[in-house]
Amino acid sequence: MEVLSIFLILLTALLIPGITGMTKAKIAGRKMPSVFQPIKDIIRLFKKGAIYSTSTSFIYKVAPLVYLSSVSVSILFLSVGSKISLISFHGDFLLFAYLLAIGKFFMIISAMDTGSSFEGMGANREALYSMLVEPAFFIIIASLALFTDYTSLNELFSNMHISSNFSYVIGIAASYVLLNTAMTENSRMPVDDPKTHLELTMIHEVMILDNSGFDLAIIHISSWLKFSIYGTLISKFIIVTTLPFYIQAVYFIIIQMILAIVIGFLESFRARNKMEKNPQWIIMLSAIAIVAFLSTLIISQKIILN
Amino acid sequence: MIDIFIILYSMTLIYFALAERVSKYVILLFIQGVLLFCVLFFSLYKIEIFDFIFILLETILVKAIILPWFMNKVRRQNQLKRENDTYIPVFYSIIIVVICLLVSFFLSSKLQDTQIHSKYFTVAFASVIFGIYFIIIHRNIFSHVVGYLIIENGIFLISLALGSKMPMMVNLAVLLDVLMGVLVLGIFVNRIGNTFESVEIGHLTQLKD
Repeated sequence: MEVLSIFLILLTALLIPGITGMTKAKIAGRKMPSVFQPIKDIIRLFKKGAIYSTSTSFIYKVAPLVYLSSVSVSILFLSVGSKISLISFHGDFLLFAYLLAIGKFFMIISAMDTGSSFEGMGANREALYSMLVEPAFFIIIASLALFTDYTSLNELFSNMHISSNFSYVIGIAASYVLLNTAMTENSRMPVDDPKTHLELTMIHEVMILDNSGFDLAIIHISSWLKFSIYGTLISKFIIVTTLPFYIQAVYFIIIQMILAIVIGFLESFRARNKMEKNPQWIIMLSAIAIVAFLSTLIISQKIILN
Repeated sequence: MIDIFIILYSMTLIYFALAERVSKYVILLFIQGVLLFCVLFFSLYKIEIFDFIFILLETILVKAIILPWFMNKVRRQNQLKRENDTYIPVFYSIIIVVICLLVSFFLSSKLQDTQIHSKYFTVAFASVIFGIYFIIIHRNIFSHVVGYLIIENGIFLISLALGSKMPMMVNLAVLLDVLMGVLVLGIFVNRIGNTFESVEIGHLTQLKD
Protein backbone atom coordinates (compact mmCIF):
# COMPACT_ATOMS: atom_id res chain seq x y z
CA MET A 1 0.00 0.00 0.00
CA GLU A 2 2.95 2.32 0.50
CA VAL A 3 3.61 1.99 -3.20
CA LEU A 4 0.17 3.43 -3.88
CA SER A 5 1.06 6.78 -2.36
CA ILE A 6 4.23 6.95 -4.44
CA PHE A 7 2.16 6.15 -7.49
CA LEU A 8 -0.18 9.03 -6.62
CA ILE A 9 2.75 11.42 -6.21
CA LEU A 10 4.16 10.41 -9.60
CA LEU A 11 0.74 10.69 -11.25
CA THR A 12 0.18 14.22 -9.99
CA ALA A 13 3.74 15.13 -10.99
CA LEU A 14 2.78 14.30 -14.58
CA LEU A 15 -0.38 16.43 -14.42
CA ILE A 16 0.91 19.55 -12.61
CA PRO A 17 2.85 21.15 -15.53
CA GLY A 18 -0.03 20.54 -17.94
CA ILE A 19 -2.58 22.16 -15.67
CA THR A 20 -0.28 25.09 -14.96
CA GLY A 21 0.15 25.58 -18.69
CA MET A 22 -3.60 25.41 -19.24
CA THR A 23 -4.24 28.00 -16.51
CA LYS A 24 -1.66 30.36 -17.94
CA ALA A 25 -3.09 30.00 -21.45
CA LYS A 26 -6.64 30.61 -20.23
CA ILE A 27 -5.63 33.76 -18.33
CA ALA A 28 -3.64 35.08 -21.28
CA GLY A 29 -6.64 34.49 -23.56
CA ARG A 30 -4.91 31.86 -25.68
CA LYS A 31 -6.35 28.54 -26.75
CA MET A 32 -5.70 26.03 -24.00
CA PRO A 33 -3.15 23.33 -24.77
CA SER A 34 -3.92 19.72 -23.84
CA VAL A 35 -3.08 18.56 -20.31
CA PHE A 36 -0.69 16.09 -21.90
CA GLN A 37 1.19 18.67 -23.96
CA PRO A 38 4.24 18.74 -21.62
CA ILE A 39 4.32 14.92 -21.66
CA LYS A 40 4.24 14.93 -25.47
CA ASP A 41 7.13 17.40 -25.46
CA ILE A 42 9.07 15.11 -23.17
CA ILE A 43 8.42 12.09 -25.41
CA ARG A 44 9.67 14.10 -28.38
CA LEU A 45 12.84 14.93 -26.42
CA PHE A 46 13.31 11.29 -25.42
CA LYS A 47 13.31 10.26 -29.08
CA LYS A 48 16.29 12.51 -29.76
CA GLY A 49 19.80 11.59 -28.77
CA ALA A 50 22.00 13.73 -26.56
CA ILE A 51 24.86 15.77 -27.96
CA TYR A 52 27.90 16.37 -25.76
CA SER A 53 30.43 19.10 -26.27
CA THR A 54 34.04 17.93 -26.57
CA SER A 55 35.10 20.31 -23.81
CA THR A 56 32.94 18.65 -21.17
CA SER A 57 33.91 15.83 -18.82
CA PHE A 58 31.96 12.89 -17.40
CA ILE A 59 30.34 15.16 -14.76
CA TYR A 60 28.31 16.82 -17.45
CA LYS A 61 27.01 13.45 -18.65
CA VAL A 62 26.25 12.09 -15.20
CA ALA A 63 24.67 15.22 -13.67
CA PRO A 64 21.12 14.94 -15.10
CA LEU A 65 20.91 11.33 -13.97
CA VAL A 66 22.12 12.21 -10.48
CA TYR A 67 19.57 15.01 -10.39
CA LEU A 68 16.71 12.68 -11.36
CA SER A 69 17.79 9.90 -9.02
CA SER A 70 18.26 12.20 -6.01
CA VAL A 71 14.82 13.70 -6.54
CA SER A 72 13.27 10.24 -6.99
CA VAL A 73 14.87 8.89 -3.83
CA SER A 74 13.63 11.86 -1.84
CA ILE A 75 10.09 10.95 -2.95
CA LEU A 76 10.47 7.71 -0.98
CA PHE A 77 10.50 9.79 2.21
CA LEU A 78 7.04 11.11 1.49
CA SER A 79 3.61 9.59 1.63
CA VAL A 80 0.02 10.56 0.96
CA GLY A 81 -2.23 11.30 3.92
CA SER A 82 -1.98 8.84 6.80
CA LYS A 83 0.09 6.26 4.87
CA ILE A 84 3.61 5.46 6.08
CA SER A 85 6.45 6.33 3.73
CA LEU A 86 8.87 3.68 2.45
CA ILE A 87 11.92 5.12 4.19
CA SER A 88 11.59 6.66 7.61
CA PHE A 89 13.93 7.19 10.56
CA HIS A 90 14.68 9.85 13.14
CA GLY A 91 15.86 13.05 11.55
CA ASP A 92 15.10 11.90 8.02
CA PHE A 93 14.11 15.41 6.95
CA LEU A 94 17.80 16.31 6.95
CA LEU A 95 18.57 13.57 4.44
CA PHE A 96 15.46 14.54 2.49
CA ALA A 97 16.55 18.17 2.18
CA TYR A 98 20.15 17.35 1.35
CA LEU A 99 19.22 14.73 -1.23
CA LEU A 100 17.44 17.52 -3.08
CA ALA A 101 20.54 19.65 -2.52
CA ILE A 102 22.86 16.97 -3.98
CA GLY A 103 20.91 16.96 -7.21
CA LYS A 104 21.11 20.72 -7.36
CA PHE A 105 24.83 20.64 -6.57
CA PHE A 106 25.48 18.31 -9.49
CA MET A 107 23.49 20.53 -11.82
CA ILE A 108 25.58 23.48 -10.67
CA ILE A 109 28.93 21.77 -11.23
CA SER A 110 27.79 20.40 -14.58
CA ALA A 111 26.92 23.96 -15.62
CA MET A 112 30.40 25.04 -14.53
CA ASP A 113 31.84 22.06 -16.42
CA THR A 114 30.70 23.35 -19.81
CA GLY A 115 32.99 26.35 -19.43
CA SER A 116 30.34 28.70 -20.79
CA SER A 117 30.36 32.08 -19.06
CA PHE A 118 26.56 32.30 -19.25
CA GLU A 119 26.14 28.97 -17.51
CA GLY A 120 28.67 29.89 -14.85
CA MET A 121 26.62 33.00 -14.11
CA GLY A 122 23.42 30.97 -13.87
CA ALA A 123 25.12 28.44 -11.59
CA ASN A 124 26.30 31.26 -9.38
CA ARG A 125 22.78 32.63 -8.99
CA GLU A 126 21.20 29.23 -8.45
CA ALA A 127 23.70 28.45 -5.70
CA LEU A 128 23.02 31.77 -3.97
CA TYR A 129 19.24 31.42 -4.07
CA SER A 130 19.19 27.81 -2.91
CA MET A 131 21.48 28.77 -0.05
CA LEU A 132 19.15 31.60 0.96
CA VAL A 133 15.99 29.51 0.75
CA GLU A 134 17.39 26.59 2.76
CA PRO A 135 16.88 28.07 6.28
CA ALA A 136 13.18 28.68 5.58
CA PHE A 137 12.51 24.96 5.02
CA PHE A 138 14.50 23.88 8.06
CA ILE A 139 12.93 26.45 10.37
CA ILE A 140 9.45 25.34 9.32
CA ILE A 141 10.30 21.66 9.94
CA ALA A 142 11.96 22.62 13.23
CA SER A 143 8.82 24.40 14.41
CA LEU A 144 6.81 21.30 13.51
CA ALA A 145 9.26 19.19 15.46
CA LEU A 146 8.89 21.50 18.44
CA PHE A 147 5.15 21.35 18.16
CA THR A 148 4.88 17.54 17.99
CA ASP A 149 8.07 16.37 19.77
CA TYR A 150 8.93 13.96 16.95
CA THR A 151 11.75 14.06 14.44
CA SER A 152 10.82 11.94 11.43
CA LEU A 153 8.69 13.28 8.60
CA ASN A 154 6.03 10.57 9.07
CA GLU A 155 5.57 11.14 12.77
CA LEU A 156 5.75 14.92 12.41
CA PHE A 157 2.79 15.06 10.11
CA SER A 158 0.75 12.26 11.62
CA ASN A 159 0.88 13.83 15.10
CA MET A 160 0.40 17.38 14.00
CA HIS A 161 -3.36 17.73 14.17
CA ILE A 162 -3.79 15.76 17.38
CA SER A 163 -2.66 18.15 20.10
CA SER A 164 -4.58 21.33 19.28
CA ASN A 165 -6.21 23.48 16.65
CA PHE A 166 -3.19 25.74 16.55
CA SER A 167 -1.64 23.36 14.06
CA TYR A 168 -3.70 25.17 11.43
CA VAL A 169 -1.97 28.46 12.26
CA ILE A 170 1.39 26.81 11.65
CA GLY A 171 -0.08 25.04 8.64
CA ILE A 172 -1.06 28.30 6.94
CA ALA A 173 2.33 29.89 7.51
CA ALA A 174 4.11 26.69 6.45
CA SER A 175 2.02 26.33 3.30
CA TYR A 176 2.81 29.90 2.31
CA VAL A 177 6.53 29.43 2.92
CA LEU A 178 6.64 26.02 1.20
CA LEU A 179 4.75 27.28 -1.86
CA ASN A 180 7.19 30.13 -2.30
CA THR A 181 10.11 27.80 -1.59
CA ALA A 182 8.86 25.55 -4.37
CA MET A 183 8.69 28.54 -6.71
CA THR A 184 12.25 29.52 -5.79
CA GLU A 185 13.70 26.02 -5.95
CA ASN A 186 12.14 25.40 -9.35
CA SER A 187 13.15 28.86 -10.56
CA ARG A 188 9.62 30.02 -11.30
CA MET A 189 8.03 33.41 -11.46
CA PRO A 190 8.91 35.87 -8.73
CA VAL A 191 12.55 34.79 -8.76
CA ASP A 192 13.06 33.63 -12.31
CA ASP A 193 10.98 33.64 -15.47
CA PRO A 194 11.00 30.27 -17.27
CA LYS A 195 9.78 31.97 -20.46
CA THR A 196 12.55 34.55 -20.68
CA HIS A 197 14.69 34.61 -23.81
CA LEU A 198 17.61 36.64 -22.56
CA GLU A 199 20.46 34.64 -21.09
CA LEU A 200 21.50 37.50 -18.81
CA THR A 201 18.24 37.36 -16.85
CA MET A 202 17.89 33.58 -16.69
CA ILE A 203 18.76 31.44 -13.70
CA HIS A 204 17.75 27.85 -14.19
CA GLU A 205 17.28 27.95 -17.96
CA VAL A 206 20.75 29.30 -18.56
CA MET A 207 22.26 26.40 -16.61
CA ILE A 208 20.74 23.85 -18.95
CA LEU A 209 21.44 25.66 -22.21
CA ASP A 210 23.88 23.01 -23.40
CA ASN A 211 21.79 20.02 -22.39
CA SER A 212 19.83 18.50 -25.20
CA GLY A 213 17.50 15.63 -26.04
CA PHE A 214 17.47 12.88 -23.47
CA ASP A 215 19.29 14.87 -20.75
CA LEU A 216 16.99 17.86 -21.13
CA ALA A 217 13.96 15.58 -20.81
CA ILE A 218 15.34 14.11 -17.59
CA ILE A 219 15.97 17.57 -16.16
CA HIS A 220 12.40 18.65 -16.98
CA ILE A 221 10.97 15.52 -15.36
CA SER A 222 13.03 16.16 -12.21
CA SER A 223 11.65 19.67 -11.88
CA TRP A 224 8.09 18.32 -12.24
CA LEU A 225 8.81 15.81 -9.51
CA LYS A 226 10.11 18.61 -7.33
CA PHE A 227 6.85 20.52 -7.68
CA SER A 228 4.99 17.37 -6.75
CA ILE A 229 7.22 16.88 -3.70
CA TYR A 230 6.49 20.36 -2.38
CA GLY A 231 2.82 19.90 -3.18
CA THR A 232 2.82 16.67 -1.15
CA LEU A 233 4.42 18.49 1.78
CA ILE A 234 1.75 21.21 1.60
CA SER A 235 -1.04 18.61 1.33
CA LYS A 236 0.26 16.96 4.50
CA PHE A 237 -0.61 20.13 6.42
CA ILE A 238 -4.17 20.14 5.12
CA ILE A 239 -5.38 16.53 4.86
CA VAL A 240 -7.19 15.24 7.93
CA THR A 241 -5.63 11.87 8.73
CA THR A 242 -8.66 10.26 10.37
CA LEU A 243 -10.62 9.92 7.12
CA PRO A 244 -10.56 6.69 5.07
CA PHE A 245 -7.69 6.44 2.62
CA TYR A 246 -9.60 6.76 -0.65
CA ILE A 247 -11.03 10.11 0.49
CA GLN A 248 -7.53 11.22 1.48
CA ALA A 249 -6.29 10.24 -1.96
CA VAL A 250 -9.02 12.31 -3.62
CA TYR A 251 -8.15 15.23 -1.34
CA PHE A 252 -4.50 14.80 -2.26
CA ILE A 253 -5.18 14.95 -5.98
CA ILE A 254 -7.47 17.98 -5.57
CA ILE A 255 -4.84 19.80 -3.51
CA GLN A 256 -2.15 19.12 -6.08
CA MET A 257 -4.40 20.38 -8.86
CA ILE A 258 -5.24 23.52 -6.87
CA LEU A 259 -1.52 24.01 -6.34
CA ALA A 260 -0.94 23.78 -10.09
CA ILE A 261 -3.69 26.34 -10.73
CA VAL A 262 -2.29 28.64 -8.03
CA ILE A 263 1.13 28.43 -9.65
CA GLY A 264 -0.45 29.32 -12.98
CA PHE A 265 -2.18 32.32 -11.40
CA LEU A 266 0.97 33.50 -9.63
CA GLU A 267 2.97 33.23 -12.83
CA SER A 268 0.37 35.13 -14.82
CA PHE A 269 -0.19 38.02 -12.45
CA ARG A 270 3.22 38.48 -10.90
CA ALA A 271 6.11 40.27 -12.51
CA ARG A 272 9.57 38.88 -12.15
CA ASN A 273 11.62 40.56 -9.43
CA LYS A 274 14.60 42.66 -10.35
CA MET A 275 17.64 40.42 -10.06
CA GLU A 276 19.10 42.50 -7.21
CA LYS A 277 15.83 42.27 -5.26
CA ASN A 278 15.70 38.48 -5.30
CA PRO A 279 17.89 37.88 -2.20
CA GLN A 280 15.76 40.11 0.00
CA TRP A 281 12.58 38.49 -1.26
CA ILE A 282 13.95 35.03 -0.47
CA ILE A 283 15.28 35.98 2.96
CA MET A 284 11.76 37.27 3.71
CA LEU A 285 10.58 33.64 3.57
CA SER A 286 13.04 32.76 6.33
CA ALA A 287 11.85 35.75 8.34
CA ILE A 288 8.25 34.54 8.15
CA ALA A 289 9.42 31.04 9.06
CA ILE A 290 11.10 32.49 12.16
CA VAL A 291 7.87 34.22 13.17
CA ALA A 292 6.09 30.88 12.78
CA PHE A 293 8.83 29.27 14.88
CA LEU A 294 8.48 31.83 17.67
CA SER A 295 4.72 31.48 17.71
CA THR A 296 5.14 27.71 17.94
CA LEU A 297 7.39 28.23 20.94
CA ILE A 298 4.61 30.23 22.59
CA ILE A 299 1.75 27.97 21.54
CA SER A 300 3.44 24.72 22.56
CA GLN A 301 4.43 26.43 25.84
CA LYS A 302 8.11 25.57 25.53
CA ILE A 303 8.59 29.16 26.60
CA ILE A 304 5.73 30.28 28.78
CA LEU A 305 4.39 33.74 28.17
CA ASN A 306 1.35 34.89 30.05
CA MET B 1 -7.73 33.88 18.29
CA ILE B 2 -5.64 36.79 19.58
CA ASP B 3 -2.48 34.81 18.81
CA ILE B 4 -3.30 34.73 15.12
CA PHE B 5 -3.71 38.49 14.92
CA ILE B 6 -0.52 39.08 16.87
CA ILE B 7 1.38 36.75 14.52
CA LEU B 8 -0.08 38.57 11.54
CA TYR B 9 0.88 41.88 13.12
CA SER B 10 4.49 40.75 13.46
CA MET B 11 4.42 39.68 9.81
CA THR B 12 3.35 43.17 8.79
CA LEU B 13 6.56 44.39 10.43
CA ILE B 14 8.55 42.11 8.11
CA TYR B 15 6.63 43.44 5.14
CA PHE B 16 7.38 47.00 6.27
CA ALA B 17 11.05 46.10 6.00
CA LEU B 18 10.51 44.45 2.62
CA ALA B 19 8.25 47.02 0.98
CA GLU B 20 9.93 49.64 -1.14
CA ARG B 21 6.97 51.51 -2.55
CA VAL B 22 5.55 54.37 -0.56
CA SER B 23 1.98 53.37 -1.36
CA LYS B 24 2.57 49.97 0.23
CA TYR B 25 3.35 51.64 3.55
CA VAL B 26 -0.10 53.18 3.60
CA ILE B 27 -1.73 49.83 2.83
CA LEU B 28 0.31 48.17 5.58
CA LEU B 29 -0.70 50.88 8.05
CA PHE B 30 -4.33 50.18 7.19
CA ILE B 31 -3.77 46.44 7.73
CA GLN B 32 -2.11 47.12 11.07
CA GLY B 33 -5.08 49.25 12.11
CA VAL B 34 -7.52 46.47 11.25
CA LEU B 35 -5.38 43.88 13.07
CA LEU B 36 -5.20 46.07 16.17
CA PHE B 37 -8.97 46.43 16.02
CA CYS B 38 -9.32 42.62 15.93
CA VAL B 39 -6.89 42.19 18.83
CA LEU B 40 -8.89 44.69 20.87
CA PHE B 41 -12.15 43.05 19.95
CA PHE B 42 -11.04 39.69 21.31
CA SER B 43 -9.13 40.90 24.36
CA LEU B 44 -11.21 43.67 25.90
CA TYR B 45 -14.64 42.06 26.05
CA LYS B 46 -14.61 42.12 29.87
CA ILE B 47 -14.86 45.89 30.25
CA GLU B 48 -18.05 47.95 30.20
CA ILE B 49 -19.98 47.95 26.98
CA PHE B 50 -19.86 51.71 26.46
CA ASP B 51 -16.09 51.90 26.90
CA PHE B 52 -15.70 48.86 24.70
CA ILE B 53 -17.64 50.35 21.80
CA PHE B 54 -15.91 53.68 22.21
CA ILE B 55 -12.42 52.17 22.10
CA LEU B 56 -13.27 49.95 19.14
CA LEU B 57 -14.77 52.81 17.14
CA GLU B 58 -11.87 55.05 17.93
CA THR B 59 -9.35 52.38 16.88
CA ILE B 60 -10.97 51.49 13.61
CA LEU B 61 -11.79 55.09 12.71
CA VAL B 62 -8.49 56.70 13.54
CA LYS B 63 -5.99 53.92 12.92
CA ALA B 64 -7.52 52.17 9.97
CA ILE B 65 -9.36 54.95 8.17
CA ILE B 66 -8.40 58.53 9.02
CA LEU B 67 -4.62 58.17 9.30
CA PRO B 68 -4.12 56.06 6.14
CA TRP B 69 -6.49 58.34 4.23
CA PHE B 70 -4.60 61.40 5.38
CA MET B 71 -1.23 59.82 4.56
CA ASN B 72 -2.49 58.91 1.12
CA LYS B 73 -3.65 62.46 0.57
CA VAL B 74 -0.27 63.87 1.61
CA ARG B 75 1.42 61.34 -0.67
CA ARG B 76 -0.71 62.37 -3.65
CA GLN B 77 -0.35 66.10 -3.02
CA ASN B 78 3.41 65.95 -2.89
CA GLN B 79 3.74 63.57 -5.80
CA LEU B 80 6.29 61.47 -3.98
CA LYS B 81 8.59 59.15 -5.84
CA ARG B 82 7.04 55.69 -6.01
CA GLU B 83 10.23 53.98 -4.97
CA ASN B 84 11.63 54.89 -1.62
CA ASP B 85 15.35 55.13 -1.01
CA THR B 86 16.90 53.93 2.20
CA TYR B 87 20.36 54.25 3.71
CA ILE B 88 20.59 50.51 4.34
CA PRO B 89 19.80 47.75 1.79
CA VAL B 90 16.49 45.98 2.34
CA PHE B 91 18.28 42.64 2.74
CA TYR B 92 19.86 43.81 6.00
CA SER B 93 16.65 45.49 7.14
CA ILE B 94 14.86 42.14 7.02
CA ILE B 95 17.58 40.50 9.07
CA ILE B 96 17.38 43.39 11.55
CA VAL B 97 13.60 43.15 11.92
CA VAL B 98 13.99 39.45 12.67
CA ILE B 99 16.63 40.30 15.28
CA CYS B 100 14.22 42.87 16.77
CA LEU B 101 11.56 40.18 17.07
CA LEU B 102 13.98 37.66 18.58
CA VAL B 103 15.38 40.15 21.11
CA SER B 104 11.96 41.27 22.27
CA PHE B 105 10.82 37.64 22.40
CA PHE B 106 13.63 36.62 24.70
CA LEU B 107 13.30 39.80 26.72
CA SER B 108 9.64 39.14 27.39
CA SER B 109 10.31 35.49 28.19
CA LYS B 110 12.73 36.72 30.87
CA LEU B 111 10.17 39.17 32.23
CA GLN B 112 8.12 36.83 34.35
CA ASP B 113 5.85 39.56 35.65
CA THR B 114 2.24 38.75 36.35
CA GLN B 115 1.18 42.32 35.60
CA ILE B 116 2.38 42.17 32.00
CA HIS B 117 0.80 40.15 29.21
CA SER B 118 4.04 39.15 27.57
CA LYS B 119 2.41 38.03 24.31
CA TYR B 120 1.44 41.60 23.55
CA PHE B 121 4.65 42.88 25.00
CA THR B 122 6.79 40.84 22.56
CA VAL B 123 5.25 42.33 19.47
CA ALA B 124 4.79 45.76 21.00
CA PHE B 125 8.44 46.08 21.96
CA ALA B 126 9.59 44.81 18.57
CA SER B 127 7.26 47.30 16.93
CA VAL B 128 8.68 50.21 18.91
CA ILE B 129 12.29 49.26 18.16
CA PHE B 130 11.50 48.66 14.52
CA GLY B 131 9.68 51.99 14.25
CA ILE B 132 12.78 53.80 15.47
CA TYR B 133 14.95 51.81 13.06
CA PHE B 134 12.51 52.60 10.26
CA ILE B 135 12.87 56.32 10.92
CA ILE B 136 16.66 56.08 11.00
CA ILE B 137 17.08 54.32 7.68
CA HIS B 138 14.78 56.43 5.52
CA ARG B 139 15.73 59.64 3.75
CA ASN B 140 12.19 60.69 3.08
CA ILE B 141 10.16 62.63 5.64
CA PHE B 142 6.96 60.86 4.64
CA SER B 143 8.53 57.57 5.75
CA HIS B 144 9.49 59.21 9.03
CA VAL B 145 5.81 59.84 9.66
CA VAL B 146 5.13 56.17 8.84
CA GLY B 147 7.82 55.11 11.32
CA TYR B 148 6.21 57.37 13.91
CA LEU B 149 2.89 55.61 13.35
CA ILE B 150 4.53 52.18 13.70
CA ILE B 151 5.90 53.28 17.07
CA GLU B 152 2.43 54.53 18.00
CA ASN B 153 0.90 51.15 17.17
CA GLY B 154 3.57 49.55 19.34
CA ILE B 155 2.73 51.83 22.25
CA PHE B 156 -0.92 51.01 21.77
CA LEU B 157 -0.08 47.29 22.14
CA ILE B 158 2.05 48.02 25.22
CA SER B 159 -0.93 49.76 26.80
CA LEU B 160 -2.86 46.54 26.17
CA ALA B 161 -0.03 44.50 27.66
CA LEU B 162 -0.14 46.46 30.91
CA GLY B 163 -3.58 45.35 31.96
CA SER B 164 -7.07 45.70 30.65
CA LYS B 165 -8.24 48.58 32.88
CA MET B 166 -5.99 51.38 31.77
CA PRO B 167 -5.74 51.21 27.98
CA MET B 168 -8.49 53.69 27.44
CA MET B 169 -6.72 56.57 29.17
CA VAL B 170 -3.27 55.73 27.84
CA ASN B 171 -4.66 55.20 24.42
CA LEU B 172 -6.61 58.41 24.27
CA ALA B 173 -3.64 60.46 25.39
CA VAL B 174 -1.28 58.81 22.92
CA LEU B 175 -3.78 58.97 20.12
CA LEU B 176 -4.39 62.67 20.54
CA ASP B 177 -0.67 63.37 20.52
CA VAL B 178 -0.14 61.28 17.45
CA LEU B 179 -3.06 62.69 15.57
CA MET B 180 -1.81 66.21 16.20
CA GLY B 181 1.73 65.11 15.38
CA VAL B 182 0.70 63.60 12.09
CA LEU B 183 -1.38 66.62 11.16
CA VAL B 184 1.51 68.95 11.93
CA LEU B 185 3.94 66.72 10.07
CA GLY B 186 1.53 66.54 7.14
CA ILE B 187 1.56 70.33 6.89
CA PHE B 188 5.33 70.22 7.33
CA VAL B 189 5.67 67.69 4.52
CA ASN B 190 3.51 69.85 2.28
CA ARG B 191 5.63 72.89 3.09
CA ILE B 192 8.89 71.08 2.37
CA GLY B 193 7.34 69.77 -0.81
CA ASN B 194 6.29 73.28 -1.88
CA THR B 195 9.67 74.80 -1.09
CA PHE B 196 12.01 72.19 -2.49
CA GLU B 197 9.79 70.14 -4.80
CA SER B 198 10.95 67.00 -3.03
CA VAL B 199 10.54 65.66 0.48
CA GLU B 200 14.10 64.53 1.17
CA ILE B 201 15.26 65.81 4.53
CA GLY B 202 18.75 66.40 3.15
CA HIS B 203 17.43 69.64 1.65
CA LEU B 204 16.67 71.05 5.08
CA THR B 205 20.38 71.74 5.65
CA GLN B 206 20.24 74.40 2.94
CA LEU B 207 17.72 76.51 4.83
CA LYS B 208 18.87 80.01 5.81
CA ASP B 209 17.22 82.99 7.48
